[in-house]
Amino acid sequence: MEGNILNNKFSGATRYILDNELASIVNVTMALEMPLLLKGEPGTGKTMLAHAIAESLTMPLIVLNVKSSLKLVDALYQYDTLTRLNDSRFGDSHRDVSNIEDYIKMGKIGQSFTSKQRTVLLIDEIDKADTDFQDDMLDVLDQMEFDIIEVDKTMKAVHRPVIIITSNAKKDLSDPFLGRCNFHHIAFPDPKMMRKIIGVHFPDIDSNLMENVVTMFYRVREIDGVEKKPATRELINWIRALKSDPDFNPKALIKGDIPYLGVLFKKSPDYERAVEATRRSHVI
Amino acid sequence: MFIDFFYSLRNAGIQVSPTSFLTLQKALNMGLINSLDEFYTSARAILVKSERYFDVYDQIFAHRFEGAELPEYQGFEIDDISRAILDEWLKDPQTLAQALDVDEAELLQLTPDELIQYFRERLNDQKGRHHGGATWIGTGGSSPVGHSGDHPGAMRVGGVSRNQSAVKLALERRYKDYTRRGLLTQDMVGEALKRLRNMIPVGPEDKVDIDKTIYQTMKNCGEIEIVFSKSFKDRLKVILAIDNGGWSMDPYIPVVQTLFDYARDQFKDLKTCYFHNSVYDVLWEDPARANKPIPVEHLAAFDPQTRLILVGDASMAPYELMAADGSIHVEERSGKPSIEQLKFLAQTFPHSVWMNPASSQMWDYTPTITTIRQIFPMFELSLDGLEEAVRHLMAK
Repeated sequence: MEGNILNNKFSGATRYILDNELASIVNVTMALEMPLLLKGEPGTGKTMLAHAIAESLTMPLIVLNVKSSLKLVDALYQYDTLTRLNDSRFGDSHRDVSNIEDYIKMGKIGQSFTSKQRTVLLIDEIDKADTDFQDDMLDVLDQMEFDIIEVDKTMKAVHRPVIIITSNAKKDLSDPFLGRCNFHHIAFPDPKMMRKIIGVHFPDIDSNLMENVVTMFYRVREIDGVEKKPATRELINWIRALKSDPDFNPKALIKGDIPYLGVLFKKSPDYERAVEATRRSHVI
Repeated sequence: MFIDFFYSLRNAGIQVSPTSFLTLQKALNMGLINSLDEFYTSARAILVKSERYFDVYDQIFAHRFEGAELPEYQGFEIDDISRAILDEWLKDPQTLAQALDVDEAELLQLTPDELIQYFRERLNDQKGRHHGGATWIGTGGSSPVGHSGDHPGAMRVGGVSRNQSAVKLALERRYKDYTRRGLLTQDMVGEALKRLRNMIPVGPEDKVDIDKTIYQTMKNCGEIEIVFSKSFKDRLKVILAIDNGGWSMDPYIPVVQTLFDYARDQFKDLKTCYFHNSVYDVLWEDPARANKPIPVEHLAAFDPQTRLILVGDASMAPYELMAADGSIHVEERSGKPSIEQLKFLAQTFPHSVWMNPASSQMWDYTPTITTIRQIFPMFELSLDGLEEAVRHLMAK
């Protein structure tokens, strides 16, 4: 198993552009069997990384989307009391009512433990949950086991999943949490990287359009006072919009004539500010 | 291995735990790290847990592995300024020489290091722009400006000789921006205030209450009876009182605005009112503080569970707080000093805080802040301060 991990190195996937730095961090983290905590601006591909790892190592991906109301036990397993009650009354199912285990359903973390194959477990936006949840969850992931109280049974992980945790928060997570993870902050891609990313999404893109779009994109990102800067996702949608418009001429872009600003700026004050700023540059 | 490196990171203020250092050793022993490049990235992922410290890490790394100079503690801000000046200088020596009132020909004789030194001394003379601080920004001699061929003197570029790319990365200091604290955005305020809520059952009965369902079913001798109950919604009452008058609050308008926007979105039962400097006989419902007064006594009729949040810099002349006719607005003078009104509010609402947008380091220098802090628990209007305030507001 161990040797298998080392040989089985992660080097990127079909739709994901990986820089060397991140690749070596992912590989070291996998070998050390520690969770990897990813932070970074929205749209820098934190979530995509887990998808890419799963794809390139051909492991199934299990996604746990964290919500503020999520309790740890829900992520581990669920005891379906209502179904059991129903079965006990009508008794027309194949389940054995006297056997509680028939009514235990695995949550996302539980699934990643019980899977016959090694899986990639993505815990998305951990910062939405409160600190207790985070610390308790790390305990489970550290021990690689949890107890099902109802049947007094300990579930142990068959294969240790590759754990990727993402966080959007500006504030830091708790110290015990951080102590158990490896950490990487994904910086916003530079124009060179961005061209590669666009190339992956639009293999047949016109080089003229690519050049102008990237130039303009980084220019509008510089507009002062914008609360939510457009990110990779917005750029890709924007290119899609531009490409679908038959009247669009790439040359008009550099002149400061920018259509579909609404695709890039999604908050109304931001949008107004962007319109204002581009109009000004247009005049100049 | 690398024990010195570990301690220099710790000395620089990065919280590197011994456990994570041992993890790094484990990674080294497993043969996962085979080059300086990999060491740079892996050690950072394992040891450094916040992008805020990436910049310091870069500096220590460059220092440990390439002997780049560590910045002096006091020198950082001046370094940035002098580097900016040097950049300007390389672009247009003449103008800058004039601006600084020095002889261009004389400056041309200096090497870049001497130039920086020279600028630094000049800036030190000029006390006005030096603020001081406690974090490290800026490296001493590692400025890359020397690449410009403009200057007759040659510059030692960052001390790099064997030129490994990891060190190059470290010297580039890509993470510098993350070390500074950004604006308090609405998202961040939302994050901090999320826990400020009071869950009460409301709405239609559409949630299955499992415990009651089982109980009722058993009572019915196994005939299933599903019991529904209401779902819980947040019904916290909040009074937000904002100091919106006077020039002393002007610098804080954006951050207060953010708080206000969030509060309006978040709390169903929110009352916003305004005051100037401190609370006298009335609070105002309109921002202009002219048309809709609420006498402070009327607030006694409010639910005492209401959370009262006062936002203001609490900075004023002492008599405005203490004197019976302290208000600078004549019509608000009733004979009760403001400090009594504040005490009344604090008694009426046991869950109350005062958020101060001024930095907490400055609080001790303003007597009225000290006084008000004895009445209301005061927190800084920053991400950390908000979180503490919320913890205080939700305490039983």
